[in-house]
Amino acid sequence: MKRSIYALLALALSFTLATLLTVTTKSSVFSESYPAVVCPPTLSGLSSQISLSSRKTAFQRLSNRSTKTIPFNVLRYPVSKDSLVISATGVTPVVWQSRAGSWAGGAICSGPTSSQWFVGGSSDVTSRGRLMVINSGLSEAIVDVQAYSENGKQPLVSLNLKSKSYIVLNLDSLATGDKSLTVHVLPRSGRINAFMIDELGAGLQSLGGDLVNPITSPSRTLVIPAIPNQIPKKGQKASGSHTLRVLTPSDVDANVTVELLSADGRFIPVGFNSRRISSGIVTELRLSPKISASAFAVRIKSDEPIVAAISSRVTVKGRKDFVWSTPTPALVPMAMAVTGLTPLIAFASDSIAVKVEVTYLNGKKSLATIKGSDIATWRVPNAARSITIIKASSETYAGALVASANGYGYLPITPGSLLTRVEIPSSNIRVLIP
Amino acid sequence: MASQASLDRHRVSAIIVTHDGQTWLPETVAALTSQTRAIDIIIAVDTDSQDNSLQLLKSARIQVINAERTCGFGEAVSMGVDSLKPRHADVIEWIWLIHDDCAPAPTALEFLLDAVNERPQVAMVGPKLLGWHDRTHILEVGISIAGNGARWTGLEPLEYDQGQHDGIHDVLSVSTAGALIRRDIFEEIGGFDKNLALFRDDVDFGWRTRVAGHTVVAATRAVVFHAQASATERRTIDVEGALLHRPLLLDRRNAAYVLLANSSWWMIPWLSLQLLSSAMARAIGYLLVKLPGYASDELLAVATLLIKPGLIFRARRDRKAHRFVSSRIVSSYIPPRWSQLRMSISRLLEGIRSRLLPDIGGSSQSILDSVEDEDLLVPTKGSRWFNVFRKPEVSGFLFLAVITLIASRMRLGSLIGGALPASPSGARDLWRSYFESWHQVGMGSSQASPPWIAVLAILATVLFGKTPLLLTLFFLLAPLAMMWSILTLFRKLTKNSWISLSASFIYAISPVAIAAINSGRLATVVALIVAPQVPILLINWKKIELHTWRQIFTLTLIFGLLYAFTLVTFVILAGLVIFAVVGDYQGFVLNGDRPLFLTRLYRRFVLLLVPFLLTAPYSFEALISPSKFLSEPGISLPGGGAHLVILGNPGGVGSLPWWLISPMLLILLVALFSSSRAKGFAIYGLGFLAPAVLFSSLSISTHGNSARERVWVGTFLVGATIAASAAGVVILDRIRGVLVSSNFHYRHILAALLLIVTALYSIVTIGWSISVGATSPVQSSRSTVMPAFLSVEKDTKTLVLREVGSFGNKSIQYYISRGRDITLGEPDVAPRQTLRIAVAAQELIDGSGISSSQTFADFGIKYVFVKSPFDRSIIRTIDGLGGFTRASATTNGVVWRVQGVTGRLIFVGADGERTLLEAGEVGARTTVDRPGRVLLTESYDRSWQIFENGYRLERIESEQGLPLFIATESGEISLLHDGTIRRAWLSFELICWIFVIILAAPSGRRKREISEKELA
Repeated sequence: MKRSIYALLALALSFTLATLLTVTTKSSVFSESYPAVVCPPTLSGLSSQISLSSRKTAFQRLSNRSTKTIPFNVLRYPVSKDSLVISATGVTPVVWQSRAGSWAGGAICSGPTSSQWFVGGSSDVTSRGRLMVINSGLSEAIVDVQAYSENGKQPLVSLNLKSKSYIVLNLDSLATGDKSLTVHVLPRSGRINAFMIDELGAGLQSLGGDLVNPITSPSRTLVIPAIPNQIPKKGQKASGSHTLRVLTPSDVDANVTVELLSADGRFIPVGFNSRRISSGIVTELRLSPKISASAFAVRIKSDEPIVAAISSRVTVKGRKDFVWSTPTPALVPMAMAVTGLTPLIAFASDSIAVKVEVTYLNGKKSLATIKGSDIATWRVPNAARSITIIKASSETYAGALVASANGYGYLPITPGSLLTRVEIPSSNIRVLIP
Repeated sequence: MASQASLDRHRVSAIIVTHDGQTWLPETVAALTSQTRAIDIIIAVDTDSQDNSLQLLKSARIQVINAERTCGFGEAVSMGVDSLKPRHADVIEWIWLIHDDCAPAPTALEFLLDAVNERPQVAMVGPKLLGWHDRTHILEVGISIAGNGARWTGLEPLEYDQGQHDGIHDVLSVSTAGALIRRDIFEEIGGFDKNLALFRDDVDFGWRTRVAGHTVVAATRAVVFHAQASATERRTIDVEGALLHRPLLLDRRNAAYVLLANSSWWMIPWLSLQLLSSAMARAIGYLLVKLPGYASDELLAVATLLIKPGLIFRARRDRKAHRFVSSRIVSSYIPPRWSQLRMSISRLLEGIRSRLLPDIGGSSQSILDSVEDEDLLVPTKGSRWFNVFRKPEVSGFLFLAVITLIASRMRLGSLIGGALPASPSGARDLWRSYFESWHQVGMGSSQASPPWIAVLAILATVLFGKTPLLLTLFFLLAPLAMMWSILTLFRKLTKNSWISLSASFIYAISPVAIAAINSGRLATVVALIVAPQVPILLINWKKIELHTWRQIFTLTLIFGLLYAFTLVTFVILAGLVIFAVVGDYQGFVLNGDRPLFLTRLYRRFVLLLVPFLLTAPYSFEALISPSKFLSEPGISLPGGGAHLVILGNPGGVGSLPWWLISPMLLILLVALFSSSRAKGFAIYGLGFLAPAVLFSSLSISTHGNSARERVWVGTFLVGATIAASAAGVVILDRIRGVLVSSNFHYRHILAALLLIVTALYSIVTIGWSISVGATSPVQSSRSTVMPAFLSVEKDTKTLVLREVGSFGNKSIQYYISRGRDITLGEPDVAPRQTLRIAVAAQELIDGSGISSSQTFADFGIKYVFVKSPFDRSIIRTIDGLGGFTRASATTNGVVWRVQGVTGRLIFVGADGERTLLEAGEVGARTTVDRPGRVLLTESYDRSWQIFENGYRLERIESEQGLPLFIATESGEISLLHDGTIRRAWLSFELICWIFVIILAAPSGRRKREISEKELA
C-alpha cells in the first residue's frame, strides 16, 4: 500500500509541477511599425504643401537612391517637384495641392496598398487629369491600370516602374473620349502608391479640379461623410449640384440605394431607392437634394460590391470648381496632421460620439467631443497642427472639407498608414514539406 | 537373391580398420560373422588402439595386423590388402572395407555382390548407410563433393528412411564404411591417396575410379549402420598430418585437396576462390555462434593447403597417369550450385519454422484411434473452412485489419505529413544519407545521421529499395504488429483468449497508438511494436542475475533498436536502472551480498550503456545537445500538455480529441489498490506516466526548428499503456470468479465502470479513426513545396518563406532549401538557424531589410521563394526592398532572385571581385585563375578541405561563419569534405553491433558436445 501511495503521490506531484511550471511557448513574435507614407509629386504648374505634425518627421525624396532620411524641420513643407517618402510614424501627413486661381485639393499621404480605386476623372476633351503611379520600393515594379468608363471596361494598361520612380499617365489616354472614368490601380509587384488629379478645362478656361482620393476595395456599404453643399445666397443662382458616380466591378448588376444624411434629416432621394446599376459600366446619377445644410453625407447600400464617389460643383470667388468626396472606412483612433488647414470635419453615423484631441502649433492640446446623430460637423481650430481621434463610436465615418483661396478640397479622415504588425519569422524545416 | 553359383565367382576379403573402437567393435564383429553370404577372409588392421579393441578382435579370432597409431585409413587398408594372398584369375576378388564403428546388416554383403553380379563395369559398390543410434535415419546413399568442398549426400538433415532412395544408383563415390571394391582395380589405381589419411579419401577414390573408366554404384538393398565416430568427434584424430588433431580442419583440408587434385586445371582458380570464400563465410558463421575453433579450422584448412602448392601438383601428376577419361566425366555427379543454395535456404527456413512454430507432440491423431465402427473414409477431424473465424485471434486480427484499412484509406501511397518528411525514392538515398559525413540541409551539417536511417535502409533494401512502399506498409501494418506483439505478452498473463485479445485490440487503438500513426511518429510506432517484447524477455527485472549474459545481450540489441529510433528510451531505461540499483543497494545493505549486488549492477549497466555504444556517434552527440534525448525522428511537432498526457493521450496533431478519454488512468488507479499482481503493473504504469506528465510541460528546440515546441512524450506513454493494459488483463482474468462468488459490493461497480468506459472508448475511437482520423496529417501525397524550376540548378540555396499552421494559428516560418523538399532523416541532422540569416529574414518581412539581399548573397542564397498562400502585403514589402528581382509569380508562389554574385563556391579576388566557381553537391573540382580567397557557402566545419596543386589551402572561418580558403596561386582546386571521422565512427558502430550480435547469438556446440540421441 505504501508503494501505491508513493506512486500516486509521484503522479500528483508531476502533474502539479507540470501545471505550474509549464513553459508558455510563444509561437509567434511580432514586429510593429508604421510603414513610410508616400506623398504625390508636384506636377508642373501646381504647388503643394505637406502638413506635418512634427518638425522631426523624417523624409527622403523619391529620387534619392540612398535610404537615408532627413528631418523636415518645418510643420508645413512646400514640395517643389519630387514625391516624398515620409516616416510619419502614425501621424498621417496631408498634402494640399493647388493651381493658383484655378483649383485646390487635398489628399492624405499613404503607405503602399494592394489595390486602389479612383472614382473620378474624365477622358473627354475637357480632361487635363493625370494619374501618378509611384514605386517607392527599391525593386522594379509592375502595375496594372484598369480603367472603366460609361462605355465599359477599357483595355488594361500594364506599367513597369523602375525602383524609386513614378509615372504620370494622362487620364484621356485611358478611355479616350469617355466622360466618366473610374480607374483601378492594381500593383503586381513593388511598393506602389497612386494619386489622381482630376482637372477640367475648356480651352484656356479652367473648369476646376481636385485630387481624387482612392478607395481600397469595392464594398456593399459605402459612406461618403462629407459632401459640400453650397447654399446660394439670396438672389443667387444655385451653383451647387452633385453627381454620384458608381461602378459595379463584378459581373452582376447591382441594386443601389442611396440614403442622404444631413442636418435636415435622413432620407432617400427620389429615384435613388434600389436603383439598378449595370455591371462594368460607370454610371452617373444627378443628385440635387433640397437641404439647407452646408455639408451632408450619403450612405450607399448595394447588393453587390461597388465603388462610388460624389462630385460636387462649388464656386470659389466666382470661379467654378468641383470636389470629389469619396467613401471612407469607419473611423478608428488615429492622428492626422492639419498644419495650415482649418478643415470642417463631418462625422456621419446613426449615433455620433467622437473624442478628438487637438494639438496646436505651440504644443498645447485641447479636447473636443462631438456628439450627434446622422451627421455632425466640427471645424478644426485655427493654429492646430494635428488632430487625434481618441475615441470614436462604431460605424462612424468622417471626412474633411477644406476651403482655400484657390478652391475647395476634400480629405478622408483615415490613417495613411496603419500600424503594421508583422510576424517575425522563425526558422523551421517544416516549411519544406507539403 | 542372387544364385549361389554366381556369388561363388566372387571372393570377398573384409578388412576392418580399428582405432579405439571398442564401443562399436563387438557389434561390428558380430555383424560380419552373421552375414548371409559368408566373408571369405576377415583381416583387421589395428592402429595401436589404446582401448580393448585389439583384445576384442583377437577373441573373435580375427587376424590382426598392427599398425602405427598415426597410420591413416588408406594406409591401413593397403596394409590389409598387401597381406592378402595373390589374386586368382578365375575369381573376382573384392575388398570389403569395414570401419570399426559400422555394422553391416546380415544381408549387406549378399546384396552388394548381387548388385555387381550383372554389372562387370562396377569397381566399387557401397551400401545404404543408416544411423547407428536411430536406424531409420538415412546417412548416405552415395556421396559427392560440392564446389565449396562440402560433403554432399543430397539428403535432408535427419532424413527418415522410407525407401525413397532405394535402388541401384550411379554415384561419384560411396563411403568407405561398407564399400566393396574390386581388388584388381584398387591395386591398379594405387589404393587410397596417402595424403588423405582420414576423411574424403572415399570421394577421392571414387573420383579416380570414375576417371579410370570404371563405375561406382550405391546398392540400397545392402544396409550398413554407421556411427561416424571420427566425424562426430567421438574419438581423437591421431593420423599423421592431422594438425592439432582437429577433425574439421582435416576434413576441410582434405576436401580442398580432393577438389584441387582431381578437377580440370582450368577450374583451379575458380575453385580456389570458391574454397576460400566459402571457408570465410563458414568461419563468420562459426564466429557468430561462438565457435572460434571451428572458424579457425575453416581458414587454416585452406591456408595449409594453399601454402603448399607442390602437394597439389604432385597429386595431379599421379592422377594423370591413371586417367583414361576426362575429369569432366564427374561433372554430372557434382551438385549444381543452385541445389546447394536451395538446400541451404530450405534448412534455414526449417530452422526458423521450428523455432517459431515448434511441433507440439501429441497433437496429431491417428486414424486408427478412431472409433472402430466409424467409416475409415470419414475424416476423423472434420471442420468447415469458415470455422477458422470462430477463433478469437483470427476474428480479432481481421476486425482490426478492416478498421485499419478503412482508417488508412488516405495513406495508400507515398506517405508524407505530420512528423514524416517525404521518403526518398530508393534505399540508396537512405544509405547515402547514413554514410555521408556532410548533409546538404539548410546551411549544411556534419551531425551524425541517426541509426534509424540505417534500419530503414536495410528494410527498404529487402523491399528492392522501395522506401515509400516500406513506409506505407509499415504504417498500414503497424496496428496489427502492435496487437500481435502485446498479445504475446498477454498470453503469459492469462489463458483466456478473449481477455488477452480484447486487451491487445484496445492497445492497438490506444490514444498513443492512434496519435503516433496519424502524426507519423516513427519512433513511437516502433516502440509500440517492440516494447511489449521487453517484459517477456526481461521477466526477472528485479532478480536480473537470473538472466544469462546471452539474454542480456539479446536485450541490448532490442534496446539498441529502440535507442536507434529515439533516445527517449535511454532516458526511460536510465530511470528504471537508477531505481533498480537503489533497490539493489538497499538489499546489499541489508544482506551484505556484495557479489550479488555487483552481478546485478553489471547486468543493469550493460543493458543501459551497450545500446548507447551501438548507436554511436548519434548517441554521443546527444551529450553535447541534450535536446536529442527528448526528440523523435522527423519534423519537430509539439505534443499535448500535461492535462492530456495524464489521460494517456500524447496530444498534438493527429491525436484523439480531449473528450475521447481512454480508460488507461482509471485502470491504473483501480489496479494500484488491488491485491493482485496488477498492482505491480500499476506502479510501473504510474512510473511511466509521472515523467511523461512532467516532460510534457517542457519545450525544446530541435530538428531544424528554432522555436521551442512542447515535448512529445509518446514513448513514455507506450510504457504506461502497456502497464495499464497488462493490469487490466490481470484484473479481468481473476475478477470474474471473485464477482461470481461474492455479494454485491464496490468491486462490482468498479468492474462495471471499467468495462463501460473501455467499451465506450473503443466504439467512439473506432468511429473517430475511420471518420475524422482518416484525414490526419500523414497522408499519401505527391505534391511538393519547391517548384520544379528551382530544382534545375543543382544545389542552389533558396530561402523558403511560408505560412504554416492551421487557420487562426498561422505563423510565418522559413528555411533554406537546397532546391528540393526535405526527405527522411534530414530534419534530424538539420543545423540550427544562423543568426545573420535569421535577422535578414526578419528584416525582409518587416520591410527594414535594406541589407537582407547582401546577407543572403553572402551565404550563397540565390533565391527567395514565398510559398502561396501568403500575406500579399509582405510580398509587396519584399518587392519594396532593394536587392531582389522577381523571377516568377505563379499560383505556387513568388520567387525573387537575390542580386549579386552568389552560389556555393565563390572566388574573391584581391580586388574584391567575386566570381562564381563550379561546385558539385559536396565535393568539387575547378580552377582558379589568380591568387585570392575561395569562399564556400556552407557552415564552417574542420573537415572542409581544398587542395590546390597538391597542397592543402589554409582554411579560416569567415566573419559569417563560413569556411574561407586562401589560394596563393592559380591552379586546379579540389574541394572535399573529409569523412574519415565519420567512417571511423561507422566502423566502431559496426564492430559494436557484430560483437553484441555474437554475444547474443545462441552458442553453437562442438560435435563432441552433442548427445548421441540428438545426433540420431
